[in-house]
Amino acid sequence: MSDTVLVVGGGPAGLSAAAGISAAGFKAVLVEKEDRLGGAPILSGYAKLVPSGEWAKDAIGRMVEQVEGDANIQVHKSTKVTKLDGDAGNFTATLSNGDTVQVGSVVLATGFTHFDSINKPEWGFGTFPDVLTTTQMEQMVGSGKITCPSDGRVPERVAILLCVGSRDRQIGREWCSKICCTVSANLAMEIKELSPETEVFIYYMDIRTFGLYEDKFYWKSQEEFKVKYVKARIAEVTASDDGRLLVKGEDTLVKRPIVIPFDIVVHAIGMDPNEDNPEIAETFGVGLEKHGYIDKAETYTNTCGTTRKGIYSCGAAYGPETIDDSIAQGKAAGLRAVADLSRA
Amino acid sequence: MATYAEMQEIFDDIRSDFRYDHELNGCLNCGICTATCPSAQFYDYSPREIVQLLWTENVDQIYDAMQEKIWACAQCMTCAARCPFKNSPGGLVAIMREVAIKHGMDSARDVLRPFGRVMLKLITTGNQLSPDMIQPDHFPDWGPNIQKVEGDLKTLRKAIPVKTLQTTATAWEVSLKTSVEMYTIWEMTGVLDALELMDENLFDVIEDFIDEKREEYEDWLEEQEEDDDD
Repeated sequence: MSDTVLVVGGGPAGLSAAAGISAAGFKAVLVEKEDRLGGAPILSGYAKLVPSGEWAKDAIGRMVEQVEGDANIQVHKSTKVTKLDGDAGNFTATLSNGDTVQVGSVVLATGFTHFDSINKPEWGFGTFPDVLTTTQMEQMVGSGKITCPSDGRVPERVAILLCVGSRDRQIGREWCSKICCTVSANLAMEIKELSPETEVFIYYMDIRTFGLYEDKFYWKSQEEFKVKYVKARIAEVTASDDGRLLVKGEDTLVKRPIVIPFDIVVHAIGMDPNEDNPEIAETFGVGLEKHGYIDKAETYTNTCGTTRKGIYSCGAAYGPETIDDSIAQGKAAGLRAVADLSRA
Repeated sequence: MATYAEMQEIFDDIRSDFRYDHELNGCLNCGICTATCPSAQFYDYSPREIVQLLWTENVDQIYDAMQEKIWACAQCMTCAARCPFKNSPGGLVAIMREVAIKHGMDSARDVLRPFGRVMLKLITTGNQLSPDMIQPDHFPDWGPNIQKVEGDLKTLRKAIPVKTLQTTATAWEVSLKTSVEMYTIWEMTGVLDALELMDENLFDVIEDFIDEKREEYEDWLEEQEEDDDD
């Protein structure tokens, strides 16, 4: 009987799962393909997190410290799982570093991949240096100064385009990425804090600052920071002769197309299924749902389950998810996996 | 002004078109279609408005839009290429135009009248436009580029290294057999019925022409058989 759970992925969900398994008195092997723990918030350099307002490097950094300082958790970085043999209660995992580990159950905390804006060329990413993604803009916020990458000037006007890589049949993304509305409202306030004279406009189809995010982010950004919300999906981003960006949309009130100049255009990029999911599905023998995320088992009595017995999942591996909910789900999946060990 | 029942019937004809469900999936009112629409730059036309009217089944305003607005669409289909819901506002306009013709609406008649010349050209030569029709006065929308078509047309056309294109009164030569096949296609797809509804005089002229050409083709076929017998 194995007293160990294999946790795949060292982001918020995986860190939470590993810490939970250890707290319950069992052992975890945590495998992370990148050279450091922390997942997207650390690897992509997120600024302040929703909803805590804490810097990602501090908040997620504490989770990393907790796991790295835990003797019951063995961490393998720059490593992948290449093979999984056996059945629930008695798996043997082969790692890319040559190690093999005996585990009773597995938690897939394999997360997501940021949408690559190159796939929407009409919105100018990769063509114009002042067209950025939300992750790049978060890094700029982290640097403490808001300037145009092209020439270093302070932007008079910033446009944030929502649903880039979400809710778009043209490119096969038929899901809402759930977090981008709130992240963008939060980002708009961060921009205004650092550069009060900059005007920020958010272009949206619907605003989905769900639950308690409504007043703390959507209302607050308008009432306290004067962020302007415009209901319009942008047709294209081009450049004018003076180097400013031209954003073409519809003025829905008068039903006329309009062209508006901006200094920076930010793509609120969505959450794609992890680009490695086909490989993950093959290695672990689990199914993917129709969008390409890890397929869920029946929710009500087999929470955290996948299509294979003894393998569990959580967080953004299942679909677009917030950091806080990924952490909660990671904890649930870790403890569900521990329950298999106790029974075996 | 049409009665409500007539407007409802027009909408039912639009809605029951076999393409309708494929072209209209819903609408989030994002406006990317209107933002990207070249016609919306110049006319009182908004593809988003067309989609919304159909989606909300506003039969009164649909009828109103069919008086003028739907004829402003250039059928470039950029809206369809951009819509995140994969609607085709341009495709819906195509259906509405066909229904407007079917119902003999004055708007359709008015818009299509200037195209009688093109229709006649198309039926009689198999080309919708010939080089000698491209005169600077007729194409102000081409801007200064129209000057490029000036010159000795016959010589210019002779310079094209494709023999069937060395013509001036037609864009290319269309064989008698191809013409007769085209007549059959236009007949079977309802194009000639639509023409009869829109312009009876033009229809009569064209019908006579088609009869003549078909006879010519029959004669030609008989000649071929006789030649074979020899």
